[in-house]
Amino acid sequence: SPRFIALCPTTVSTSSSGSVDEEEQRLRSELRERFLRTLLLMTDKQVQFDMFEKVRVRATFGASDIDVLNFQVSDLETPLGVQKEALLRCHDMISCSFEL
Amino acid sequence: VSWRSSLPPSERPGERRTAEMKKLYGKDAAKIQGMEAAMQLTFDRNCDKKQPKYWPVIPLNL
Amino acid sequence: MLQWSDRSPQHWREFVNHEVCVTVQDQQRFEGRVFTVDPVSASVVLVSVQENERPSVRVILGHAVTDVQILRRGTEETERQMKSVFLPDQTQILSA
Repeated sequence: SPRFIALCPTTVSTSSSGSVDEEEQRLRSELRERFLRTLLLMTDKQVQFDMFEKVRVRATFGASDIDVLNFQVSDLETPLGVQKEALLRCHDMISCSFEL
Repeated sequence: VSWRSSLPPSERPGERRTAEMKKLYGKDAAKIQGMEAAMQLTFDRNCDKKQPKYWPVIPLNL
Repeated sequence: MLQWSDRSPQHWREFVNHEVCVTVQDQQRFEGRVFTVDPVSASVVLVSVQENERPSVRVILGHAVTDVQILRRGTEETERQMKSVFLPDQTQILSA
């Protein structure tokens, strides 16, 4: 799949050394699990999104797709009022932050 | 010609994804795949239920 | 030079638990301790824990990152502290 090709660096697809692969898989798993837990922690929180063109909005985070392309949010406070339900493109975004 | 070619060309999408996950995540593949599936399910369900529209309508970062 | 998003898990792992400064496309900078770097999107998760304040978390999308510099190295204690933020202990899960 395109996702796999994009994700899979040459070290995984061409390396003949099993131990290097295993170490890379272990690191990738650890990093990915931590990221997924971060998204779970962000669920239902008030999040500030800093986007390109100096656009800054707030919303309640709902969920992300697994490829981190779209965030589903609610009660998005836009400069033109509140949009009850919205999808934000992750490519429009520089960062997002929330408090615990 | 290998014996494999006599098999029906039945590649199930789920199988390929599982094989890819295995290669990326090794022995933790099942755990990561499970966490991802749960997250994607929440995303899909929320989108079905709430019908969110893209904001802004035009992408900022073209 | 390799872009941040094209780096390997080994490279990203080098930053975990350290205090860093992340520079993004418009020269904006963010400081904090690295909890993880997502191997799918290369997004950096930073945590800031200030005294008398609630911990804050910032996710910086991988496509916007231009540079990451280590400011101060973390310790076992900072790793433990960070984990307690993200991975709540069993009693909290059971009582939830």
